Amino acid sequence: MSLFTRKESLPIPPKDAERYTTVCQYCSAGCGYNVYVWPVGRNGSAKNNAFGIDLSMQSPMLSGHSYTETMHNVITRKNGISYNLAIVPAKESRINKGNYSVRGGTNAIAAWSDTGYTKKRLKQPLLKKGDSFAAISWTDAVEIIATLTKASIDRYGADSIAMKFYDHGSSGLGFEDNWAAGKLFLSGIRTNHLSIHNRPAYNSEVWGTRERGMHELNYDVDDARLADTVVLWGANAYEAATILYTEHIMPNLQGASMDEKKSAFDTGEPAAEGRLIVIDPRKNASVTVAQAIAGGRVLHIRPNLGTDWILANAIARIAWENGWYDKAFLEKRTDMKTFEEYKAKSLQLAKPLNDLLAEAEKITGVSRKEMEQAAEWIAKPKSGGFRARTLTIYEKGIIWNMKNYDQVAAIAQLSVLTANIGRPGTGCGREGGHQEGYVRPPAPTPGSIYAGGPPKNVDKFLTGGGGKIYWVGATDPYLSTPNSQFFRKVLKKRSATLLDHIDHGGVPSDPKELVARVLDAFEKTDGLFMVVQDIYMTQTGNDAMLILPAAGWGEAADTSINCHSRLLRIYDKFMDAPGEALPDWKILSMVGMKLRELYTAAGNKEMADRFSDMDWKSDEEVFLAGSREFGDNRVPETEEAKLSPECYKGVTHQILRKLGNTGIQTPVRVDPSTGKLVGTKRRYKYSFATTDGRFRWYGTDPWSGYPPEVAKYVGNPKYPYWFTTGRSQLVWQTMYHDRYLPEKYFALPLPYIEVHPEDAAHLGIRGGDMVEVFNEEGSSIALVYVNDACKPGLVFGIMYHAKGSMNHLTSSYTDPKTTMPWYKGTKVGIRPYHGTPDEAIRTTSLLPNNNFS
Amino acid sequence: MSPLNRREFLQTSSASLALAVLGLSGKADGAAANKYPSIRIGNIRDLKTGEPVQFNYPDKSSPCNVVMLNGNAVGGIGPFSNVVAFSALCPHMGCPVNYSNGRFVCGCHYSMFDAAKNGQTYQGLASQWLAQVSLRLDKASGNIYAEGIEGLVYGRIGNLNIS
Repeated sequence: MSLFTRKESLPIPPKDAERYTTVCQYCSAGCGYNVYVWPVGRNGSAKNNAFGIDLSMQSPMLSGHSYTETMHNVITRKNGISYNLAIVPAKESRINKGNYSVRGGTNAIAAWSDTGYTKKRLKQPLLKKGDSFAAISWTDAVEIIATLTKASIDRYGADSIAMKFYDHGSSGLGFEDNWAAGKLFLSGIRTNHLSIHNRPAYNSEVWGTRERGMHELNYDVDDARLADTVVLWGANAYEAATILYTEHIMPNLQGASMDEKKSAFDTGEPAAEGRLIVIDPRKNASVTVAQAIAGGRVLHIRPNLGTDWILANAIARIAWENGWYDKAFLEKRTDMKTFEEYKAKSLQLAKPLNDLLAEAEKITGVSRKEMEQAAEWIAKPKSGGFRARTLTIYEKGIIWNMKNYDQVAAIAQLSVLTANIGRPGTGCGREGGHQEGYVRPPAPTPGSIYAGGPPKNVDKFLTGGGGKIYWVGATDPYLSTPNSQFFRKVLKKRSATLLDHIDHGGVPSDPKELVARVLDAFEKTDGLFMVVQDIYMTQTGNDAMLILPAAGWGEAADTSINCHSRLLRIYDKFMDAPGEALPDWKILSMVGMKLRELYTAAGNKEMADRFSDMDWKSDEEVFLAGSREFGDNRVPETEEAKLSPECYKGVTHQILRKLGNTGIQTPVRVDPSTGKLVGTKRRYKYSFATTDGRFRWYGTDPWSGYPPEVAKYVGNPKYPYWFTTGRSQLVWQTMYHDRYLPEKYFALPLPYIEVHPEDAAHLGIRGGDMVEVFNEEGSSIALVYVNDACKPGLVFGIMYHAKGSMNHLTSSYTDPKTTMPWYKGTKVGIRPYHGTPDEAIRTTSLLPNNNFS
Repeated sequence: MSPLNRREFLQTSSASLALAVLGLSGKADGAAANKYPSIRIGNIRDLKTGEPVQFNYPDKSSPCNVVMLNGNAVGGIGPFSNVVAFSALCPHMGCPVNYSNGRFVCGCHYSMFDAAKNGQTYQGLASQWLAQVSLRLDKASGNIYAEGIEGLVYGRIGNLNIS
C-alpha cells in the first residue's frame, strides 16, 4: 500500500552505546545532534537505554526527544561488523533545543549504508576508459594528477589550472578541508583561476558589507528572539534555515520571548511581541506562516527583481527625514568623511523627499506607504526614546541579485544608520546557506573593484577555451553554475577532445604513458583534463577523466561554525568512509606532497617549498595548522573587531569534544586578564573591523536599468515571464543524498516551477503538467505546481534538482564589482509539453506549499 | 494480497529474519503485543467528505483520523478508494495535526501532509511522513476496520510497544 517500505519500530540504543556529538550536515542553522552507535543485535531495553528515557510510555508532544523512522540506519565499519546508528536532535543545544528540520531529520538515513538507500557512494579512484570508468589505485591517481599539475604549471603557468572547491563547513569538512585546499591551491599552485562551489569566481558574497568593516556573521541566534522587528530580506528562513525561523523568530512573533526581552532590555524599555518584515517578490512560506501566527505584525514587501538597493536607500531616507537615527552613534562609531558620500549618493539628500520616493516607487514597484511602514518598524524609537531593536537577515535574494555589491552595502548601511548593530536584538547579516569553516592563506583577489578586485570569472575562462586542468571538489557546476547549459556543452566537448586524443588503442594503464599522452593533448588540442572529487558520482563527474572518492560527514572529525551564532563545534567521526574514500584534506595533502617530491627531484627548491607543511597525520593536525593563520588573539573584549571572524586559535578537537553541543563562539580570544579562551556572543559592540574601528560608508550607484544580458528580453513578447529561482524546503542542494531517500524523491521527483493561477489559466496548464521553460540561454523541462507565491507575470523555479537545472536559463551576467552572478533574475517563455509526462509525477503532492489555512 | 495478509505472511515467513536485521521487526523489548488488532472504527455510510472522524488505534494513547477525500488516494478504501486514516500525531514532534482541504496541518511548526499521497510531508519540518493506518472495508455492512499501521507513530519505539 505504502509508496515505500515503512518502519514500525526502531532498535533501542543500549546504555553502553558509543556516543558522539555532532552538528547537522545541512543548513546554516547548525542544529546540534547526538549520535549513538551499537552493534546490531545488542539492543537496550525500554527502561534501560542510552537515551535515558522510559520508552515503554507514549512520549508527550514537544518533549524534545525525537527518534523517528529517518533517524536510524545500519552501517558497516571497516572491521566488517554491522552497527545500528541513531542520530537524534540534541535537546541541550541552544540552537535547536531538540527541534529539527525535514532535512536534518534524515542525517541517519543519509549515512552511507550498503544495506540502505545510499549504496552508490564512490569507493575507489576512477579513471575514464573509453565510455566508462575503471578503478585505479590512489598511488596512480595521485601520480597522474600531480605530474599533470606540475607539467601544466611549468609549461603553461599556474593559471592553466582551474579549480572549483567548496569553502564552507557542515557537509564539507569545515576548517580541516578548507585549510588543506588553501595550502594546495593558494600557497602551492597559486593559480588565479579559483572559484568557489556555487559561483564562477573566488570572491566573498558580501564584500559590500565586509568592506564597510562589518563581517556578515555578527548576530547571535538569541537576537532573533529579542528583536522588536526581524527583517528577512531575500531570505526564506522557514524553508532554508528552518530552525532559525521556527525556534527563534516564531516564538518572538508568538510573544513567547517576552521574559527574555524584559531581562535583556534597558530599564524601563518597552517590550512587545515581535514584528516581521519579509522583503521578497514571493509570498513564500516565511510570509504565510508568520501571517497565520500574527497577521497584523507582518509586513510583506514585494520589490521588482533587481531593485532592492533602491528600496533600502528609500527606507533609509525616510528614517533620515524622521530623525530616526542616533547622531552620537554615527559620530562616534562611523567615518563621517565617507558619510558625506553616503548622504549624497544613497540618501540623495539633494533630491526632495517626494521626488525620491516617487522615483523609488516607480523602480521598485513598492508603495510609499509600505516603505514608510518598513522605516517605522526598523528605525522609529520606542516610547520613552529607546532605540528600536531590529535584526536584519539577508541571503541569496540579495547576494544573487543584480548588482551584488550595492545591494549588500545598502542593507548594511541602513542597519548602521539606524544603529541596529552590537546590541541585543539587533544585527545585520547573512542567513547563510551552508555552515562556515573558512581558514586559508590570503586569496589572490582581496576584495571588490574598490579593494584590488574584481576576481577572474573561471567559467568564462574555461568556456573561452582557457585552462588545461579543472579540478572540482564537492560541487556539481553542470547543475549549479549560471548559464549552465552552455557551460556543460563546452566542457563536455573539451573533455571529449582530450579523451579522443589520448585513446588510441585504449587509454594507457601506465600512469607515465597516460600523462605523456595527456600532455600531448594539452599541446595539440583544447582538451580539458577534469578531476572531480566527491562523495557520489555527479553530472560533472560523468565527463571527468579522474574521479576521487571523498569521505563525508561523520566519516572524519570536522569542525565548523553555524551562521546565526558563529558557534564552533566538533562534528565527530562516528563511522568509516566507504571503500577507499578519504577525507578531502587527506587527498589534497597526498597531491601536495607528491608535487613537493616531484619539484624536489627536479631540483626546483623554490617550487618544492610552496608545497611544504602538508604532511598532516590527523584531522586535528590540519585544524591546528590552520589556526596559526589567525595571528595573535590575546585581546580584550573591546577589541574583538580586530579578530578574524572565524578565529579559533587555541581551540583543539579535545576542547571541542568536552564542550559538545555547547561549543564556543568565534572569534575566540584569549582573555588577557584570565588567560582563558573566551567566545564572542555578538560582534561590533565597541568598534568595527577597519583600521580606525569606524564603519566605512559607501555611496551606492543610481538605478540604470537591467544589464544587457537581461535587458534584451524586456519587451520581447517571446519571453513574457520574469523568472526567479530558489530552494525547496524538502531537499538539500543538488539532492546528492535526497535523490536516494524515498521520503524526498517521491515528494519532489522532478525539477519544477511554481506558477500563479492566472498565468496557469492563460497558458492552459494545471498543477502536475509538464512544461518547457526557455529563453536564448537555454531551456529546461519542468513539472508545474500552481500557487499564489508569485504575482502574475513572475515564475519561480527550483534552482536545480538531481534531474535537471534551471540555471540553463540564467544569464552569464556577473556584477562587474564582485564577479557575483545574478542567478535570480531573467525572463523566459513557457510552452506546455505535449509528450507523455514522466510517471514520477504520480507520487508528488500538488497542494500549494504556501497555504497553511 | 490485503495489507493484513501481507503482514501475517511476513511475520510467519523467513522474510521477517531479514527485516529483523534491518531493525524493522515489530518486536522490541517490553513489547505489549506483537500483532495489530482489528478494530471497527466506523461505517463508511456515516463519513462525510472532508470531515475527519477521530479514533484511537492501536491503543488508547494513539489518536488517529479517518477521512473521506474528494478523490482517490494512496491506500484509500471504498468504491472510490478515497477513505484514508492517519495517525493524528505529527511525526516531527508529536503535536496534533488537523485536517483541512485535503491535508493534515500541524499547529506547532506548520508541517503539512497530503492525505491522498501517503501522508507525505510536502511542506514543513517532518522528515518522516505521517503514519498511515491500514483499513479494511466490510462491503456488506460498510464497517471500516483498522488493521495495521504503516510508519512509526510519533513518540514510540514501536507501534505495538507501549505499556
